[in-house]
Amino acid sequence: MANLKYVGHPAQRVDALDKVMGKTKYVGDMSIPGMLYARSLRSELPHARIVKLDVSPALKVPGVVAVVTSDDFMNHSNFGFPISDMYMLAYEKVRYVGEGIASVAAETPEAALEGVKAIICELEPLPAVFDMAHALDPDAPQIGPNRTDGNHPNYIGHYPVYKGNPTEKLQECDVTIEQKYETVMQEHAYLETEGGLAIPTPEGGVVVYLSCQSPFIPRNDLCKVLGLSADRVRVIVPPVGGSFGGKDDLNYQTAGQVAALALKAKRPVRMTFSREESIIASYKRGSMRMNIKLGADQDGTLRACEFRSLYDSGAYSSQSPFTSWRASIHAMGAYRYEDCTVDIDTVYTNTGYAGAYRGFGNTEVCSGIEQAIDEMADALKMDPMDFRLKNCLKVGDVTPHGQLLSESVGLTDCILKVRKMSDWDRKRKEFASQSPSAEKRRGIGVAALFHGTSLGAEGLDEATATIEIHSDNQVTLTSGLTDYGTGARTVYTLIAAEILGIKPERILVHNPDTNTAKDSGPTVASRTTILAGNSVRVAAQNLIQNLDWAAADFLKCDVYQVHRVGEDYIGPSEEPVSWDIIVKHAREMGLVLSAFGRWTAPEIHWDEEKGTGIPYFAYHFGAQVAEVEVDLKTGHTDVVNIWAVHDIGKVIFPQGAYGQLYGGISHGLGYGLYEDLDYQNGYAQSINFDTYLIPTSMDMPEIKGGFVEAAFSAGPFGAKNIAEPSMVPTAPAILNAIANATGRRIRKLPANLERVMLGKELTKKGSPFSCKVALKIT
Amino acid sequence: MAKFDYVLAKTLEDAVHLLNEPNIRSIPLAGGTDIYVAIRVNPIWFDRLVDIRRIPELSQITQEGDVVSLGAAVTFSHAIANPILQKVAPFLVEACSTIGGPAVRNCGTFGGNVSNAAACADSLPALVCLEAVAHLRSPKGKRQLKVEDLVTGPHETKIESGELLTHFTFKVPPEKARSCFIKIGRREAQSISRLSIAVIGAVDSTGMVDYIRVCPGAAVATPVRFPHVEAVLLGKKPDEEIITAAAEQLVVDMIVSTGRRWSTEYKEITLKAIAERSLTKIFLEDGQHVN
Amino acid sequence: MLINFNLNHKPVSVDAPADITLLALLRDRFKLTGTKEACEVGECGACSVLLDGELVNSCLVAAPSVMGRNVVTIEGIHAEDGGPNDLQRNFIEKGAVQCGFCIPGMVLAGEALLSIKSDPSRLEIREALAGNLCRCTGYMQIVDAIETTAKARAEKHHPEKRED
Repeated sequence: MANLKYVGHPAQRVDALDKVMGKTKYVGDMSIPGMLYARSLRSELPHARIVKLDVSPALKVPGVVAVVTSDDFMNHSNFGFPISDMYMLAYEKVRYVGEGIASVAAETPEAALEGVKAIICELEPLPAVFDMAHALDPDAPQIGPNRTDGNHPNYIGHYPVYKGNPTEKLQECDVTIEQKYETVMQEHAYLETEGGLAIPTPEGGVVVYLSCQSPFIPRNDLCKVLGLSADRVRVIVPPVGGSFGGKDDLNYQTAGQVAALALKAKRPVRMTFSREESIIASYKRGSMRMNIKLGADQDGTLRACEFRSLYDSGAYSSQSPFTSWRASIHAMGAYRYEDCTVDIDTVYTNTGYAGAYRGFGNTEVCSGIEQAIDEMADALKMDPMDFRLKNCLKVGDVTPHGQLLSESVGLTDCILKVRKMSDWDRKRKEFASQSPSAEKRRGIGVAALFHGTSLGAEGLDEATATIEIHSDNQVTLTSGLTDYGTGARTVYTLIAAEILGIKPERILVHNPDTNTAKDSGPTVASRTTILAGNSVRVAAQNLIQNLDWAAADFLKCDVYQVHRVGEDYIGPSEEPVSWDIIVKHAREMGLVLSAFGRWTAPEIHWDEEKGTGIPYFAYHFGAQVAEVEVDLKTGHTDVVNIWAVHDIGKVIFPQGAYGQLYGGISHGLGYGLYEDLDYQNGYAQSINFDTYLIPTSMDMPEIKGGFVEAAFSAGPFGAKNIAEPSMVPTAPAILNAIANATGRRIRKLPANLERVMLGKELTKKGSPFSCKVALKIT
Repeated sequence: MAKFDYVLAKTLEDAVHLLNEPNIRSIPLAGGTDIYVAIRVNPIWFDRLVDIRRIPELSQITQEGDVVSLGAAVTFSHAIANPILQKVAPFLVEACSTIGGPAVRNCGTFGGNVSNAAACADSLPALVCLEAVAHLRSPKGKRQLKVEDLVTGPHETKIESGELLTHFTFKVPPEKARSCFIKIGRREAQSISRLSIAVIGAVDSTGMVDYIRVCPGAAVATPVRFPHVEAVLLGKKPDEEIITAAAEQLVVDMIVSTGRRWSTEYKEITLKAIAERSLTKIFLEDGQHVN
Repeated sequence: MLINFNLNHKPVSVDAPADITLLALLRDRFKLTGTKEACEVGECGACSVLLDGELVNSCLVAAPSVMGRNVVTIEGIHAEDGGPNDLQRNFIEKGAVQCGFCIPGMVLAGEALLSIKSDPSRLEIREALAGNLCRCTGYMQIVDAIETTAKARAEKHHPEKRED
């Protein structure tokens, strides 16, 4: 691995040129002659029975061409995985404000809106439950589907990790702490809103350009709800303007609606969301309430952890069973314990709904456990870095899940490096001697994390890639996993270029398309580099083998005698032969110049009852330090510095890896300081960027990042992952820094002006007004 | 079919005429930064926009003697870069630089900020401290109103339909006066004021306060001076004790005006702090008197 | 109504309703889709264009108000050969681009800054970008790209400074 030519070297993003020139076509930029514009009628009530739904008046509106409801689909448009509780359009009931009820296609967006307004939709309000603590009350109104196992219908699941008996062990510990922590809902705030464009095909099928992460899921859903065979439904992922976990379930509904409308109207149909519609209708990071007990001995040995929490999935289960499971695996943090139990219960409410969002459960639990770890360090009068270093996972440790960590555990190095970079010890000392009367106080805090790579025991974990050399010697690559802004296509390109020994410019990675790529599972869980990267590696290795034989044949020697200089092949004669000549020769030999690569992740397993197993085949590790200046009189927190060191295995595409790191930190900073998609009685209170605040360039400090490359032997060139975990420790590092500055702890996110100053939130009475207005604006 | 019409006014007379054409509800358009946001969620309340951005005198900042004139269509970017304002009203310039981002500052205007009259409008507290006078013109003639009196409530002003806000005038503050604007927002940029304050003051040759104007933003329904607070300071030596007393008076007066509301618990502490800080900045530095 | 103006350095004439914004005019009438629609309330900067050289949010500009003025969109920013200019190349080199949706606005905000300030500090660059939201990058590499461009342009215009 010493002489890598492309992997690990600065590179250009394969799609950057079009993007800087403004040429990239996102879904909303595409238009086709005769295309219709679609708009959805969305629920203005958080929980209601659909008493009457008459779309015939809409069809009389000039310009309206087609209208669809759940009646226009098979099985009332039911879909969803792992729990099929969703519909492409509401059936019988609505369960949150913003849920789609009917969809109209018209000649203009204005006519579509008029059509929506003309629909007669009578909703009978039902009692609703907004507080997760009351979701399972015996008299709580039913939100979830009927169930036969005796559990409350609002109960989604229980996600445990069990090692020993921490309740007993806590009694033996010198020091124990118990605290409650809470997180709120976070909006993904991708700059491009949701959208889809459906085009009917001559044979009665449909092609959908869909801004999403995982095209095979909507392809399969569309087949199911439209009653079409897989060859009649094609989903193409055009350039996606950000997703962060957010463009799945809701936009699968968009796909269903535009596809049904296109089939009905026999014309192309496009739907794009306004920002307000996007925020009201879309799923969020769910909110979580945690109760954490830790026990340690006076020498700083962490011994026991008892973690209990409740997670609010809102109106639909979406990805929450998986989010909750990932949360349970990471709830105790990256530490050794003699005894450790985790119990997470997940429930339905009528507060919007929760789905996938960067970090996927780990972001939530990390904000709790990493504060608890600091509180324990304080109780022990130990430096938080020393306490983490003493207890953090190392190679050879067995995790509380029962997994032996045999390689690629770079956490200690991450902590040591970030400690040095941030000048931690000096600053910690300096800040301890600030005048107690100072109104503006500095503080510095750390948080560490581990993050299981890929899906874990959520499901089958494999990916496939194809690679082909065309007649003009252009190399094309397909992967079933998408690049919604992350840089994955550049990673694939660099891996293929490295193995094929050709310049990256020769390689074109196609946009994911269910007709040309192979289903590789969902593009989630920061799994593209390892899974898709490995499948590209395998495909490229399969292809290069043919070229090596062609080279040996051309150079009249054995394969082992051929070596490469630049792109050229050199044999015993020392005369370089170009790659193009070898490719031509391979063709003449009749060798196939395309290859297929599949990579299946190492085997893992999880016992859902016993709460033990090997949840993930590898882990990312990292530590971040935040330095803040807190204004005690205004509650304002200025994040002055952030240092971040992460063990991501081998870095494949450096600018991309740093970009992921910085970007993740910006999500974490917003999560820590002000992002709060507050719902009052089911109505979102912030529905555009004027009130839902995300960090601006002035809010982000100059970030100093670094990587520890603890190679993972099964990763492509030793790579692991970065996308999600980059945001996970930021918020708790900031919260720990605020506590260091002020001596007061904020255990409910975000640390906004009021919480920092008063130690509590101030709540304005909410209003349904802006949601109701915004669902009817042009 | 367009929901409203647009017309470009070339002169002031033209604008007044267009705004008063019968049977067509016309409103002035300057930067558009408030109007286009408002019509997104509200029913459209006008038939026509009268674009006043290209009337030369509305975009001028001039000083004649001790009177500064500020056109209603002057943008915040223009103001920030203007040497007259930088010299005579630095706190107004500071306030402008906290508004929106560069693109909003390139379009947003003083006339728009004042006539939109949001409780959190950032140019208003400094204009009120400067005792700026708004000049209005209509077919009936011209009239003048203090900005403080012009704004009657959140998004409510005394500007009548058909009346055009043309410019503001204010007297150059005493040369020795120092001013300060402090804004508390939830974010470092593009942030709506949670609370703000503008202060300008000076001391006489004996070190006693002989000039003081205090106007908080987003604290009470409209931006107004707080005479009781100014009275605490006037004629006194502005030391820490007096500054604290003034800040406490400000909080008392705010609560008298608004009653205790959901946010009072926060605002009473923060308003006191920014009042103390702004007054300290203009009167004391490192414990030393500055003017 | 008929609107005549200069679009990307060429005179154009278009018949459009009076009530639309410059953003709608550019995207729907001229099919210049590099100018993005993302909030329509002037908060995100994705619709940034240059109006007489100044950065504006095209979602808040009345379409007819550009009569006789100069509008430059991302499609009007390029090198003489039609390829990327130095700033756009630096966006690519520095890894400033991820999903790309904010990037046209960021490039224009960068050009607007560099047209009035040749040697901005990183803080000044951040101030110039404060109205342009990016959810992917954390802004670091965007600031890098503008900073690098500023330095290179300054050097090109004042090569003698190099000897200092």
